[in-house]
Amino acid sequence: MSTIAARIYAELQGDKAIWAVLALLTVFSVLAVYSSTGTLAYRVKGGDTEAYLFKHGMILVGGLLLAYLSHLLHYKKYANAAPYLLALSIPLLMYTIGFGPEINEAKRWIQIPFVGITFQSSAFASIALVIYVARAISSKQDYIKDFQSAFIPIIVPILIVCGLIAPADLSTAAVLFFTCIFMMFIGRVALQYIFLLLFLGIALFSMLIALGEFFPETIRVKTWISRVIEFTSDPDGVYQVRQAKIAIANGEFFGLGPGNSIQRNFLPSPYSDFIYAIICEEYGVIGGIVVIGLYLLLMFRVTRLVTKSPKAFGAMLAIGLAVSMVLQAFFNIAVSVNLIPVTGLTLPMISMGGTSILFTCISFGMILSVSKYIESVANE
Amino acid sequence: MDIKNEVLYRVYGLLFGIFVPISIVLLYKTIYISAWEGQRWRDEGASAYIKPHKVEAERGNIMADDGSLLATSIPYYNLYFDAVAASDYDFNENLDTLAQCLATHVLTDKTVGGIRQDLMNWRDSTKRYVKLKMRASYAEKEFIQSFPLFRKGQFRSGLIVQRNSERKRPFGIAARRTIGYVRDGAVPVGLEGYFNETLGGTTGTQMMLALDKANDIWIPLDDLTKVEPKSGDDIVTTLDINLQDIVENELYKAVNYHDAEWGTAVLMEVKTGKVRALANLGRIEYNEETKWYEDYNYAVGRGIEPGSTFKLATIMALLEDGYIDLNDSIDIERGQTTFYEEKMEDSSPFSFKIDSTSIKRAFEISSNVGMAKLVTQYYAEKNAANDNIGAAKFIKRLKEFNLHIPTGVEIGGEANPYIKEAYSEEDQWSGTTLPWMSIGYELKLSPLQLLTFFNAVANDGVMVKPHLVTEVQRYGETVDLFRPTILNKRIASTGTIEKAQELLEAVVTNGTAYKLKSKRFNFAGKTGTAQVNYRRSSRGTRVGGYQASFAGYFPAEDPVYSCIVVINKPKQNGIYGSEVAGPVFKRIAEKCYTSKLEMHRPINDRPLKILASNELPIKSIGEKTDMKYILDYLDVEYFGNPGTDLTVLDLEGDSLMMNQRSIPADRMPSVVGLGLRDALFVLENKGLKVEVDGYGKVARQSLRAGTVIQGQTVKLTMQ
Repeated sequence: MSTIAARIYAELQGDKAIWAVLALLTVFSVLAVYSSTGTLAYRVKGGDTEAYLFKHGMILVGGLLLAYLSHLLHYKKYANAAPYLLALSIPLLMYTIGFGPEINEAKRWIQIPFVGITFQSSAFASIALVIYVARAISSKQDYIKDFQSAFIPIIVPILIVCGLIAPADLSTAAVLFFTCIFMMFIGRVALQYIFLLLFLGIALFSMLIALGEFFPETIRVKTWISRVIEFTSDPDGVYQVRQAKIAIANGEFFGLGPGNSIQRNFLPSPYSDFIYAIICEEYGVIGGIVVIGLYLLLMFRVTRLVTKSPKAFGAMLAIGLAVSMVLQAFFNIAVSVNLIPVTGLTLPMISMGGTSILFTCISFGMILSVSKYIESVANE
Repeated sequence: MDIKNEVLYRVYGLLFGIFVPISIVLLYKTIYISAWEGQRWRDEGASAYIKPHKVEAERGNIMADDGSLLATSIPYYNLYFDAVAASDYDFNENLDTLAQCLATHVLTDKTVGGIRQDLMNWRDSTKRYVKLKMRASYAEKEFIQSFPLFRKGQFRSGLIVQRNSERKRPFGIAARRTIGYVRDGAVPVGLEGYFNETLGGTTGTQMMLALDKANDIWIPLDDLTKVEPKSGDDIVTTLDINLQDIVENELYKAVNYHDAEWGTAVLMEVKTGKVRALANLGRIEYNEETKWYEDYNYAVGRGIEPGSTFKLATIMALLEDGYIDLNDSIDIERGQTTFYEEKMEDSSPFSFKIDSTSIKRAFEISSNVGMAKLVTQYYAEKNAANDNIGAAKFIKRLKEFNLHIPTGVEIGGEANPYIKEAYSEEDQWSGTTLPWMSIGYELKLSPLQLLTFFNAVANDGVMVKPHLVTEVQRYGETVDLFRPTILNKRIASTGTIEKAQELLEAVVTNGTAYKLKSKRFNFAGKTGTAQVNYRRSSRGTRVGGYQASFAGYFPAEDPVYSCIVVINKPKQNGIYGSEVAGPVFKRIAEKCYTSKLEMHRPINDRPLKILASNELPIKSIGEKTDMKYILDYLDVEYFGNPGTDLTVLDLEGDSLMMNQRSIPADRMPSVVGLGLRDALFVLENKGLKVEVDGYGKVARQSLRAGTVIQGQTVKLTMQ
């Protein structure tokens, strides 16, 4: 055993702490998904929970493989590909809005022809945008505080991509938007411009709401409004959130133990949106601390990369990817503890869902690639 | 500020200004919900509303001997609607089509629009348990579950399905008490009670959610903790639906005609003890109407003083002890005598003119005086310590007849037989006990116990246990098989049994039951007319009613069935066993006889003589003893008795000759006409390899007879 572990360890380059975060999140994912798919399995597959576990397990294995492969690649390759990826993602998003199948009442997916696999185009676009912005910020560092030559070229793609994601998936768009703002903040963009961007974002959002009057099928303004109203009208939270709170309360400090969740029967999509509550129910507050701690640890490790190589594209890429991941996680957890309205964001690397896990793994791979090179440079 | 520091400030600012504080807030909120608000949420939580509930297993069936269902559990479903469960989207999307389906198929007294309005109202007023359909069949349930919205399942649609089942007896009251029931708060009855564990299966558990605790409304949750119940096994009874119908019908006619208190009739297979029919009918006054109903298992549970039918045991004891012979004479004193100042009378009018007659005749006419005088004469000596003389010996004989032990039939609540211990004060033994015991009083037996005794006489002294269940089945496969059980290999000597049979036949041919004689077949039996609620005195007996009975078997020569009929307190159209119970017995016997082919002696019960048959083998070769056995069985004449084991049967003229069969060692024999087994035996012993094609007898062989054998392969074509 030890030799295998040692060989794997030797094989994995880059920050071992980040690898550990990835591994632990994967373990949580397996445990929590297995527990919470019980009702889904009964509804859809006549009790065959192993079917879901198997499928999820395969996705995780595939994801880890992707992480491994993408960490082998030099991150500068990603920088070169950034404009093309971004150029590809925009038509994809447009296609999704226009022709994507409606799943769970929203058009967030595209179906790859012939294969029949669906994936969320926004996940792809998010990564493409983060790489692009990281590259733009790092390449324009010398004149980064300039409006015309630095700010405008950076924000135009941000507004386009977020504007295309927002109609069907506002929360993903918001996470991406804030990620970009944070990247620009770290990348020394002048604060007044950042506020300007924030203002532009709000303006764009208002425009979408106005447009929603004319395209209610495409832009889910009604849902947004009703969720906000639900959130503000009942301090205890809507039905799902109350069930999530019951789950968290059931867990007390040490949890009910693996597989003993009760609330999985009452929480809609316990395996995605409210998986944090299930983890808290089965593993207690301890479980919650570990999950939040893991995401925070990722932030710390990536920040460390930035301190080692502040101006580099790599650092900017790593921090962008990490921020987007951790922000999404925090958004998801905030819903479960009733701090923000229901969003539909998943818990990265833990929630069930192919696209989300695969792209999160690729993100991890890129971060690790960056850490690998930054560390080798630092060692020299 | 240099670039590097600016970046560092900013990135640390972001980390400690945004991400760390958010983490702390999220953790704080988690702990707040779990600890500070914890109790409140846990109280609201489902754990208070979720409890494991028992899931009753599907109860096994009770089947008649031919597999028809005597008792079975029919599932039915109650369907409710939780109007809150569905999401707005699902609800609104399916509202119209669902209303349409419900109006067409379920709530047919309402309009589509009305139901649509109802559905919306229920949802608005958060109704979580609206009755949709009660007692739906499985097919109806499946159909309703396929409706729009409902097909999304309980959690997404709010359609709640509760499964129940009820016990049905497809044959109505037939053998109702024998089949029995198991109910909460009641003593389990009949086979249902006796085989409760077998039929009941294993209860499962399932988590249930309380929708409304106050009204105790629970819905099942499908999750991993469900333990499926294990269905009960089926039991196959000995009951024959047709015979049960006959017996029940005849009994009903009789209790009705004689306006009796209750009646019972049992039909049992002599050789095996299989109870083929068991009917009980008790009088019930209901709305000033008199009805008879299976209200109690009189045959099994009621100990009765049998009266004259018991005389069979008395006379068998006397015969077994060698005290009497059937042709000895006895003075029956014109049917009247006294024992210890208590008067005993014969009820049969035959007795009034007779002083002295044979013991056989006294039994035929059921003379009380005759029997009582015999026992008091031979079992007079009083010595409680020695059970080889006196009443103790008589009691010992009765015990040898197994009359003191319950039969052990598979029905709860079998009455214990009551036979007094000789001279026992506890049993209030008195001088009159012995004479009255001899004619079936001061003791109690259930009708079934008495029948078991008569059955043993019919079965040449072998007492078999009456039983009702032959098999336990699971999904049609036998799990447990109950074979006939012998209670007593020989209750009396062959001589005694033969005499007892002779006496029982005589009762029908010349005695009290002579009017019942059937032209078509003979039967044997004993009548009984017992007094019930009587009070004995020197002036005779004051009687509160009679109990007519008849126990016997048929056909007399080769008994197939034994049967007992007991009718308690007939109030009109006669009181005597021969006129009340006897006719029931006779009609049951006659109908059995006509309906049961196997009771008729076949015209040809040997194989037909073989005159000409193209099925005869062309050539019969085989082992000598086998050959002889077959020829003897077929009654075919043949000649010859060769000295070898292997023989051949040849046709010589018009007779068969059995000849020696010898095969030259190194030559191929002819095996044409042989069966495969014989051909293989012959050829493989000669070291040949044999290939076989087809089936039947050997039609062709690939090697010509006479060929020299050198381990070749020979191909046989069978036809």
